[in-house]
Amino acid sequence: MSKNNGFKPKIIGFLCNWCSYAGADLAGVSRIQYPPNIRIIRVMCSGRIDPAFILEAFKDGADGVLVAGCHLPSDCHYLTGNFKASRRVALLRKVLKEFGIEPERVRLEWVSASEGDRFAAIVRDMVEQIRKLGPSPLKNMEAKA
Amino acid sequence: MMFKPKIIGFVCNWSQPTTLNSAGTGRIWGYPRIRFVRVMCIGRIDPVAVLETFAKGADGVLLIGCHPPDCHYVEGNLQTEYTVEILKKLIPLAGLEPERVKLLWYSPSEKQSFGQHVKDFYEQVKNFGPSPLRNEQPQSKLMLNILATKNVASDFRLRVLLGREKELTEGVNVYGEHIPKEELDATFDDIIREEFVRHMFYLLTKTKPFSVKELAETVGMKPAAVLRQIVNMRRRNMIILDHVEGTTPFYKALEVK
Amino acid sequence: MEKKKVGAVLVVGGGVAGVQASLDLADSGFKVYLIDQGPSIGGVMAQLDKTFPTNDCSMCILSPKLVATGRHPNISILTNAEITGLSGEAGNFEVKLRKRSRYIIEEKCNGCGLCAQKCPIEAVDMYNEGLAQRSAIYVDYPQAVPLKYKIDREKCIGCGTCYEICKAKAIEYEQKDSEVTLNVGSIILAPGFEAFDAKQKSEYGYGRYLNVVTSIEFERILSASGPYGGLVLRPSDGEIPKKIAFIQCVGSRDFQLGNPYCSAACCMYGMKEAVIAKEHTPSKLDATIFYMDLRAYGKEFDDYCNRAKEEWGIRFVRSRVAGVTEDTLTGNLHVHYVENETPKTEEYDMVILSIGMTPPKNIDKLAKILDIELNKYNFCETKHFSPLETSKQGIFVCGAFSAPKDIPESVAQASGAAAKAMSIIAPERGKLVTVKEYPPERDVSKEEPRIGVFVCHCGINIGGVVNVPEVVEYAKSLPNVAYAEANLYTCSQDTQKLIREKIEQHKLNRVVVASCTPRTHEPLFKETVQEAGLNPYLFEMTNIRDQCSWVHMHEPKEATEKAKDLVRSIVAKATLLKPLQKPVINVTQVGLIIGGGVSGMIAALELAKQGFEVHLVEREKELGGNLRKIHYLLENEDPQEKLNNLVRAVEGNKRIHVYLGAEVADVTGFVGNFKSKIALHDGEEKEVEHGIVIVATGATEYKPTEYLYGKNPKVITQHELEEKIANGRFKAKNVAMIQCVGARNEERPNCARICCGQAIKNALKIKEISPETEVYVLYKDLRAYGFKEDYYREAATKGVLFINYDDDRKPQVTSEPGKLKLLFWEPILKEEIELEPDFVVLSAATIPNPDNKRVAEMLKVPLTKDGFFLEAHMKLRPLDFATEGVFLCGMAHSPKYIDESISQACGAAARATTILSKSTLEMEGIVANVDEDLCSGCRICEYLCPYNAIEIKEKEGKPVAHVIEALCKGCGACGTACPTKAITMGHFTTEEILAQVKAALMEEATA
Repeated sequence: MSKNNGFKPKIIGFLCNWCSYAGADLAGVSRIQYPPNIRIIRVMCSGRIDPAFILEAFKDGADGVLVAGCHLPSDCHYLTGNFKASRRVALLRKVLKEFGIEPERVRLEWVSASEGDRFAAIVRDMVEQIRKLGPSPLKNMEAKA
Repeated sequence: MMFKPKIIGFVCNWSQPTTLNSAGTGRIWGYPRIRFVRVMCIGRIDPVAVLETFAKGADGVLLIGCHPPDCHYVEGNLQTEYTVEILKKLIPLAGLEPERVKLLWYSPSEKQSFGQHVKDFYEQVKNFGPSPLRNEQPQSKLMLNILATKNVASDFRLRVLLGREKELTEGVNVYGEHIPKEELDATFDDIIREEFVRHMFYLLTKTKPFSVKELAETVGMKPAAVLRQIVNMRRRNMIILDHVEGTTPFYKALEVK
Repeated sequence: MEKKKVGAVLVVGGGVAGVQASLDLADSGFKVYLIDQGPSIGGVMAQLDKTFPTNDCSMCILSPKLVATGRHPNISILTNAEITGLSGEAGNFEVKLRKRSRYIIEEKCNGCGLCAQKCPIEAVDMYNEGLAQRSAIYVDYPQAVPLKYKIDREKCIGCGTCYEICKAKAIEYEQKDSEVTLNVGSIILAPGFEAFDAKQKSEYGYGRYLNVVTSIEFERILSASGPYGGLVLRPSDGEIPKKIAFIQCVGSRDFQLGNPYCSAACCMYGMKEAVIAKEHTPSKLDATIFYMDLRAYGKEFDDYCNRAKEEWGIRFVRSRVAGVTEDTLTGNLHVHYVENETPKTEEYDMVILSIGMTPPKNIDKLAKILDIELNKYNFCETKHFSPLETSKQGIFVCGAFSAPKDIPESVAQASGAAAKAMSIIAPERGKLVTVKEYPPERDVSKEEPRIGVFVCHCGINIGGVVNVPEVVEYAKSLPNVAYAEANLYTCSQDTQKLIREKIEQHKLNRVVVASCTPRTHEPLFKETVQEAGLNPYLFEMTNIRDQCSWVHMHEPKEATEKAKDLVRSIVAKATLLKPLQKPVINVTQVGLIIGGGVSGMIAALELAKQGFEVHLVEREKELGGNLRKIHYLLENEDPQEKLNNLVRAVEGNKRIHVYLGAEVADVTGFVGNFKSKIALHDGEEKEVEHGIVIVATGATEYKPTEYLYGKNPKVITQHELEEKIANGRFKAKNVAMIQCVGARNEERPNCARICCGQAIKNALKIKEISPETEVYVLYKDLRAYGFKEDYYREAATKGVLFINYDDDRKPQVTSEPGKLKLLFWEPILKEEIELEPDFVVLSAATIPNPDNKRVAEMLKVPLTKDGFFLEAHMKLRPLDFATEGVFLCGMAHSPKYIDESISQACGAAARATTILSKSTLEMEGIVANVDEDLCSGCRICEYLCPYNAIEIKEKEGKPVAHVIEALCKGCGACGTACPTKAITMGHFTTEEILAQVKAALMEEATA
């Protein structure tokens, strides 16, 4: 079987409770269809997301990780959590390469409660992108090991 | 060469005119080009099936059922009258004469006149000439039209109402009010018009992304009206924005995977 | 005999003002009936895309408030309702309502929306301003509260489809309108406004030209959930415009139309819409705003304005547009206007009319029923010193109904009206509210996890796509799951009973529901498990509707697999769940107010009326603050008389302890438990304990350095002029006033808000006492917003000359011995004019109290870069600080008129009352926890916490972080940053999140 045939990317989405999770809800209520590859983990604030969570997700077999929070600068329910998330993800991206993970596998997006369309579009786009990248290199390593 | 119309007749299992052969799938004598398809009750005939028949190139469609009081399924056949009415609204949208579809009641006591009705229908269809859909390419405008009407007929909006039209016109609605036939008719006309346009856009944008202006030109509508329908189609997840070129958004059908 | 008072309040109007008032009342121990004419609450704010000046997403910030209102045990929402009768008196009213039928049984409808999906009839969607359609059975918008469908009886043909499709049996075609009688102690009116009907300005072509839209339509166009998905399109042809124009003051400042007042919010929202439109447009978009005066008078509004000009390149043209015509071929629009006396025409792709606010529809009828007075424009009549009171005792007003205003002012007024409404029934606090009793909590710490999983069909919303029985069977196979079942509707009342029974029968100690969104349904289920004796935090939820069946409708197999993954993942988390206790803290039911000006005094009086003791600390030797310097008003009220009454009331109130010549020297502690040191005038120090702090430190007049102020005695400030007039020492043949002195410049870019009003007031006073005196007002933008516009017009009519200047051509003041010269450019005559005025009066800015910095540091609250106090949220929390228990009001917040300070002061008192009304506060259980052994005392968490909820304490000789649970909001930022992993976040622990991730990614052996 060729490399990407039948490859179903697994994506973990860390969504903040107030904006992005609500955006995903709106995608649902509006019946906006997107590929079924994402598994959403709800956290109260994108500022809660530890880069270690993202690395763990890759270790556990994720092919991509989405971090979504409230729009900058001031939509954050906790005032500045989104800024914290943006700094942490930026730092993580630098480290990812060392782990052999393409930085494009991690996406940081701002999704508001009224952007159901946008949420779906992000998932669609991300699935497409990761399909192109192929399975996470960590996964292959484990399989080989 | 003389034109010999191809006519399909849907006939109720219980009302088979004795003019049909015993298999019930044969032909009425003298009209070899009428092919019959047996159904359990003409009341169950789906407008989609009739439109599909036209799409396949039939020149006329005949529906034959038991005379209203004789229906084996009590009142099943009465529904057919409403179905035919809707069909007569849908067929012209596909560029066909509404008279190409006809409903006939059969009862053994009216054998003679029945034969005459069949004959008249045959002649009428013959006069219309061959269906313009006969040798059409699948992507042609006319084919898209008939496909769109088919989609309209299978759309929930029409089906929901069609299923209740009899109840609503003959009795009262859920509020105990009587709705005049004309009012209901107007509602049907509106829905059919709107849905036809939407399904047309859907079929068109399935082939390639279209802009509002292009759609307007293709179907001869005002761009503002096209945009309003696109808004509705977005709400119903029939269409999405594909891309923007300069200042022009292009839309494509949201295909069900 | 006086009738018994009733501890309930009726709030009329469910917009943001009504919602805020309801929450404040209900949180302070009163029963609230919130009524709205429409089927849901939210008002106009629910239609907005973004809000200025922060460009926040409107729905993101409003929706949590709506949900809180909908779920509040002390708030009953009555929709489709209007008042038909009123009897009784303040303290005990009887209100009659007519509730129009929804044709839906509200208790049964769970908002699943299947009916709307299958309804064959379409109708115009007014939530989207007619730009889209909806079905005949509908909710206004997906986040509507209450999420109950409604049949549009006008459009419905009665086909009966919804009845058949509704699995909840919620449709009731026979439902009739009903009469409801309510007994309440007071009433708050928050009916909002009606948007101006743009068709009345026929010269702009609205209704005839497709590409002319109103500003509210444009909000919907900009919204991601709007008709065009957030892309700006021309309604005529769906093209993205390249050039758009905003026409301001449509239906405002229009004498001929009978709407001469200013609608107060349009300049800002116009600018915001222009900015957002550019942001939403992928191609280049030019935006021009045609305005008369740019009224960016609010807090940091000029900053926004400058950014709109400089960063976003919005073009501003000062002109009243004469008319709009259409190019019928292209649908483009020609905007005709006059600039510099020259008629001009410009072509645009789209024109947006910034429509004004008019009084609510049919308001005369309501006013008659309630016996309240309306002003000449049919807005609610109020007085300058009682801005929240209607003419009838016991009925209060807030929001745009008393005068056009923006959201933060409406919200502040709403809290203020809540204070007023509470004060007349204060003794009845807590009498009509329901306090929920729960059984004692079961100790599950010794038990192995036994999880119950309840999977919802949601009618066919989930079950129609996801194979629910398969998910249930799968759930049963998961480790630690002791029980699993499917429900038709897991949220229905009978299922709650069933869940409780199953908890008991199967000794469940964790519960998982797989259904819809926790954002709306989690509180309900938490309550259910609590009723069964479980700690509410032993509950978790996963969303297999919005994340599976509704978004993968055509992939039932994948949707089912995903649902299983989600269930497995949430069960893994649930296994690790720990009971959390909601911290309970004691409240010292005493207030501390810093500042004894009008705001501080009003706040003190309001708190005292609620029955609380107050310490009021004023630095000066007497109370009154800036009000001491005000001798007359535009409005016909005597400020000094009012001041004296106020001072008397404060000093005579036993609950208020006034400290004059004193200063708050130190504040420690947190919400409910503050301890402060007051440095008294005699050098002594007094320590007080209190539960809240209100900052009312006021502001001060700028001492100009410009225009020879201080060098020439004929150059004076407005306050000095007022003093002269009041003392009868004013005599002059001509006076020139210069606006924006010390404001709207490089150093202080923002507007000082009240100087335009001051200038008009003093100009009118001069014309009154000396009609022959010439008065010139040199201004940049005349910001006479709201009804102040009337006085502006009056002054102009009485011969006051208003002359516009801009920064390129500022007026010049020079002095020669014995002579004062003023040179300015007259833009209409197009020439330099030289005057020898008797006085040059400088409208000096109102600047922050220099003491703000010290107070801010002491309270650990932020200041704006201008030096005013910065509230928790500029739009919806204007009176709160992010730090719980600390509030602000008056000019400490930003410059404002007296009525506005009074509204805010009452509002701050109401906000404080939500805390002071309770002897103990129950906080959220999801808080951070510090493992002191692991803590290295690095202070990163202290620095990161936006709520000052972490303090560093000395423990056994080493510094350790300590979480003040009362202040922690549970965001988890500290835990994530902690280098030694000493901080755990309750309910979202690292272990829980990682278990959830791991399980979500697990490959199924069977799959």
